[in-house]
Order: sequence, then C-alpha cells, then structure tokens
Amino acid sequence: MNIENTKAQMKKGVLEFCILSVLSEGDHYPSEIIEKMKNAKLIVVEGTLYPLLMRLKNDGLLSYRWEESTSGPPRKYYKLTPIGEQFLKELELTWNELVESVNQTIKKQ
Amino acid sequence: MNLSGIIFHIEDDAYEKLNKYLSTIKGYFNETEGRDEIMGDIESRIAEMLQAKVNQTKQAVLLADVESVIAVMGKPEDFAGDGEQKETTSDKHYTERERTYRRLFRDPDDKVIGGVCSGISNYFDIDPIWIRAAFAIALFVFGSGVLLYFVLWMIMPQAKTIAEKLQMRGEKVDINSIGKAVNEEFSDVKKRMNQFGEKINSSETRERFRHNARSVSRDVGALLTSALRVVGKVFSVFFLIISIILLTALLAAVFGKGNWMFFDHDTPVKLSIYEISKAVLPADISSELIVTTLILFIGVPLMMIIYRCVRFLFNIQHRNRIVNSVGGLLWVIGIAMVVYVGVRVGTDFSTQTYTKKKITIIQPAGKKLYLDVTTSDEDNNNTFIHFQRNGRRVHNHNWTIFSKEENHYRLGYPQLDIVQSETDSFQLVIIKSAHGPDKKEASVFAKNITYDVLQRDSLLLLNSYFDISEDDKFRGQNVKIILKVPINGSIHLSNRMERIIYDIDNITNTLDADMVDRNWIMTRQGLECVDCTGDERTIDIRGDDDDDDEKHTFIRKDEHGETIETTHGGKTTIIRRDEHGETLETKPADEKKVIIHKKLRNRNEGDEEDEGEKIIIEKEIHTDKDDKKLNTQLSIPFRLMPYSSSVKSLS
Repeated sequence: MNIENTKAQMKKGVLEFCILSVLSEGDHYPSEIIEKMKNAKLIVVEGTLYPLLMRLKNDGLLSYRWEESTSGPPRKYYKLTPIGEQFLKELELTWNELVESVNQTIKKQ
Repeated sequence: MNLSGIIFHIEDDAYEKLNKYLSTIKGYFNETEGRDEIMGDIESRIAEMLQAKVNQTKQAVLLADVESVIAVMGKPEDFAGDGEQKETTSDKHYTERERTYRRLFRDPDDKVIGGVCSGISNYFDIDPIWIRAAFAIALFVFGSGVLLYFVLWMIMPQAKTIAEKLQMRGEKVDINSIGKAVNEEFSDVKKRMNQFGEKINSSETRERFRHNARSVSRDVGALLTSALRVVGKVFSVFFLIISIILLTALLAAVFGKGNWMFFDHDTPVKLSIYEISKAVLPADISSELIVTTLILFIGVPLMMIIYRCVRFLFNIQHRNRIVNSVGGLLWVIGIAMVVYVGVRVGTDFSTQTYTKKKITIIQPAGKKLYLDVTTSDEDNNNTFIHFQRNGRRVHNHNWTIFSKEENHYRLGYPQLDIVQSETDSFQLVIIKSAHGPDKKEASVFAKNITYDVLQRDSLLLLNSYFDISEDDKFRGQNVKIILKVPINGSIHLSNRMERIIYDIDNITNTLDADMVDRNWIMTRQGLECVDCTGDERTIDIRGDDDDDDEKHTFIRKDEHGETIETTHGGKTTIIRRDEHGETLETKPADEKKVIIHKKLRNRNEGDEEDEGEKIIIEKEIHTDKDDKKLNTQLSIPFRLMPYSSSVKSLS
C-alpha cells in the first residue's frame, strides 16, 4: 500500500470542505484560496484547485463574479451560494462528528 | 505569446515548455465538463504569475520562470489526481483493452499540419523531421505523399486524453515487442487450448460433458478468435503492402502520366494510360473520365483496404463512419462508370466487317513460290509482349506482336492460309477485318489497316505485322492472307513463316510448326509435303510403333557447325559437320555419353493429340564402367525443337 496515496486520499475528502469554509469568510479569488490552503499545508500545488472549484460551481455550491485586477488579467471572485452555505453547514456537522469519533477510536487503542 | 489577453515576450524553449504543459493539462480535462473554463482559469493564473516575474529590466519570460510556475501549479497528473474522477468510462475501456503497447495516434502537441508525422515518429521513436522529410519527398513522387498523408490523417485518431497520449508513447513497438505480442497471442491460444483439453478430460461422462458443453463451446470460440487474430495480422500486413504498391502504381499511371510498360527481355513498350484510353475508347469518352473511373473503381477500394489494415494492425478503435460510407459511395459510382464505359466500348465492337482485296502476283517460274517474312528492324529490336498462342505455347523470340511507332500502332500477327486455287495461277487475297458500332465505321477501320506484301521474282515477302493509324481505335483489327496455289504448284515455307501461318490444311495433317522449312506441293487432295522424309535437316523421322525400330535424329547447332545424332535400331551414330556443311567425322556414339532426346513425332501418326511442350528435355545418361547408370541429368537444350510427345530412353 502506498502511504502517499493514502495521505492524498485522506486530504482529498476534506479539500472541498476547506474550500467552502474559506469562502464562507468572504469572497475570494483562487490565488487567495490557494494561499490560505498552502499556509495550512492542505495543498501543495495550485493545479488541484481549479478542477475542484469548477465542480463545486457546476454543482451550484459556488458562484463567481469578474473583477478587474490592477496587476494582471481580470480575476474570478468566488462566493458561496445559499445551497453552498447549506452544504457547508452539513459538512461541518459531519466533520465534527467525524473528528470526535476518530479521536475516540484513536484514544482507545 | 498571448495568455488570457496579456502579451508576453517569451523565449522559445520556455514557450515550448509552457505550450506543452498547457496542452497536456487540456488533454487531461478532455472528458471533463467545463474544460475551457478550467483552462481559462489556469491560464489567467499562470499569466498572473508570469507577469509578476517580468519587469522593466527583464521583459522576456525565461525557461526558469515557466518551470517555477509549473512547480507552483503542479504536474498535470496532480490536476486530475485530486480533482476530477479522471477515469472516464472510455479511458478505463482503453486501458483494459489495450494493454500497454504503443498505439498510433496523431500528436496534437507537435504538429505541422495534422500531427501525422509526429505521431508516426512517436510510434517508431524517430525524430519527426525524418518522417516529415520523407513525406515532403513523397510529395514529388506523383503527389502520392499528399494522398497518403490525408489517408493517414483520416485513419489515425488524435491523442486527446492523457491515457491516449501515454499509449502514444507507450511501450516501444519493435521487433522484440512484436515478437512478444505474437508470443503472447500464441501462449494465449495455447493456454486456452490446454484449458479446453482439461475441460474435455474432466468431463468423462456424457452427462458431465453435456453439462460443460456450453462452456466448452465458448472456449472454442475464444480459442478461434485469438488464433484468427494472429493469422489476421499476418494477412493484413500482406494486404497492406500489396495495396500500397498497387495504389502507388495507379497514382503513378494517372498523375505521373507515366507509362505502362510491357516488358520483353530487351525493350519495353511504353504506353501511357492516356494513349491507351485514346486508342480503345469511343471518341466522346474523355481520358479524364477514364482516369476518374480508375481512381474510383480501383483506387478507392485499395484505400479502403489500406485503411482497414492499418486500423486492424495498430488496434485503432476509433471509428469513422464517414470514411466507410463515402468510400462505399465512391466505389459504387466507380462501378457504374465502369459499366457505362464497358457498354460503350462493347457497342463499338458490335459489328464486324471484312474487306477483301485481291493482289495480283507475278506467276513464278517453275510454278514454285518461296514464302518468307519481311525482315525489318522491328522484328529484331522493338519486340514486346508475347501472347500465348495455342494455349501453352509462349513465343519468346524477337517478333513484334505489339508496338507503338511514331504515328501508328504495329500489331502482330496476320494469319496466312494456303488453299487450292480454282484457276491455274497463284493468287493472293488479303482480308482485313475490324469491329465497329456499325458496318460503316467498322469498314473504315478495316480499310485503314496497312499491310504490305512484296514480291521479288519467285520470293514472296510477307510482313509479320500490320499497322493501324494512331488516330484509329483498336477495334479488333485483323489481317488474313489467303494464298491460292494452283494444282502442281509448289511452295517453300521459310523457317520464319511459322509465326504467321495459321492452321493450313494439308494431307498429312502436319502441324503449322512442322510445316516450315519444307517444300510443299499442291495436289488434288491438298498440300503434300515433298521433303518430309530422308532429309537430314528434318527433325522428325517417322518411325514404327515398335520402339526398338524407331529412328531418331537429333541436331545440335553451335557456332562451330552442327552435330547430328541418328539413332536407328538401337544404334546411335554421331555426325559432326562444320559451318559449311562439310562432314568432319562420323562415328558411333560414345558409350559414356548417350544423348537421348525426345522422340519427335509427326502429327500424322494421329494417336498423340497432346501437343506437348515446346521444350525438349535432353537427358544425359552417364554410364560408368562398373555401374550402368549413375547419374541422370536433365538440361534445357539450346535449341528449341518442334512439337514432341514423349521422352524415350535408348539405353
């Protein structure tokens, strides 16, 4: 079994949750999201983010608007849709439950 | 370079790298919804990062910049790794079905026109420049390069997804891996065979066999399929090569305005397809029509075969309905055109007419006429195809049967018949015949045939060919010459006459080929041979049915003269003569080397209808002092002999 693969799988599940959480604090464009995630060491390369954002947008959890940038091409600012907020709430619940039960399981051993 | 609307000055290598990177990512998202949008996002992000790297002093983007950007963005695999479910159904399909062998794809990342050359170079691990150069050169070879390129463009699918790109560069296909693949196929067959055998063995009782019947039959099916695949690949390589050769030949004939050559051992006769169509087709059918017909009727199916073979060989699954239906449609059109042209040409042959012309000849002294064929350069130099005559005979000498001269076609051979004259004089009748759509046109064609006869005292020289004008069509023109010989008039046929005499009736039913080089006299019953017996130059001596009593004569000629071997009653005598006919020596045959040859028989013996082959087999039997026969050798003689029917050993 590949340890890197397992790690990646574990991270993968929570990535969407994290993106939604970051966006719940306010509108961001991808670079900002990446910055935050990078600081938290959740993702290493930026490339992973774009397909995720796209899927969340296609699923109706996110929407975006264009904003002119002073230093480059116009930026896409993403924000949560009402469905996204609902989704995030449920994920938060699940996450807390999960953390709790995982911690419990680990402690027992 | 333009990225998200921002212009960058970028170094060549950096550009190359970035471009490849972007298109690889693009390939990765091929099956994903909203690919363009993702790509747009990624591009603008890259643009943003690159813009941060250029400033007033450093305006160009360098390779290092691009590399650092890629490091930040991540490898193409990462894009899909955490994001989309990369295994779209079709990808999964491919990986399962295709193993790891390399497959032929067009390379969209490195293309000049369609990526065909770079695809091929990927497949064979060659620098694409060589393939491109080869195509560029092929462009000048009747433009076949262009056609081939477009065919390949149609056949080869573009490598769109990453999976396909990996397959494109996958395990190298060389002799080893082909061998491996074939081995695998074979071991697959073997494995199935074994399983099959086991199954049969295990099903000892009928009951169980019946039970297993279904799975057994399924196994047989699988077994056959993989065996057929192996055989099929071998055949498709074969067909592919043949088709490519034929197609190239067709293109050469059509576009190269090349000549179709009819080879003889010396000189080829060159006729372009346009000349042929001009000579054969009705005037209102243009040669362009015929060229189109040929391409549709022959070229299209060839291309389809190539298409199918390449697809089968390289396991190309990509389907292209348009190719099949367009190909089929074009071929149907081709068939229709062939039928039309065929009917038109056929109509032009529907009527046959004759023109009869009497030629006055000077009555020869002594009522004897010597017949010979005109010697001309054509007879010896410009000699071309030889048709088979009388079934198995292939004439291989220097005689014109077809040639294209300056402004006419020269055809062989006219036919000469010799009959009894109703009057007391020699008469010559020349009958020219031709076909045409109606009597009028046919007779024009017939009249336009040129045929010359020349008389020099008692020597009658006939041409071994006749000419038709270049402006005339080939309409089955033929010339028949009838020589009427009065009773008691005699003729001599020269050796060369064999070419043109045709089924001349004579009392002894001697074959045409045996009639030459002899004197004949016209009797009331018909032609009779004057010197068929007793002449040393005759090749055949009539013998009895009793083998021991038979007499055989065998003549060998070389530059020093001739050797005549006569066998009579089991004894062989050898006579050597020099080139002037002087007898040098006469001796009994050397016991060590008896040359035995075919028994030559005249047709008048009747019982042997088989004409035999015109090759005499010389059989040399070397007798040793102790052993009678040690070695039997067969060799082809240097001189062809007339019809013979059997080989007889004299030892």
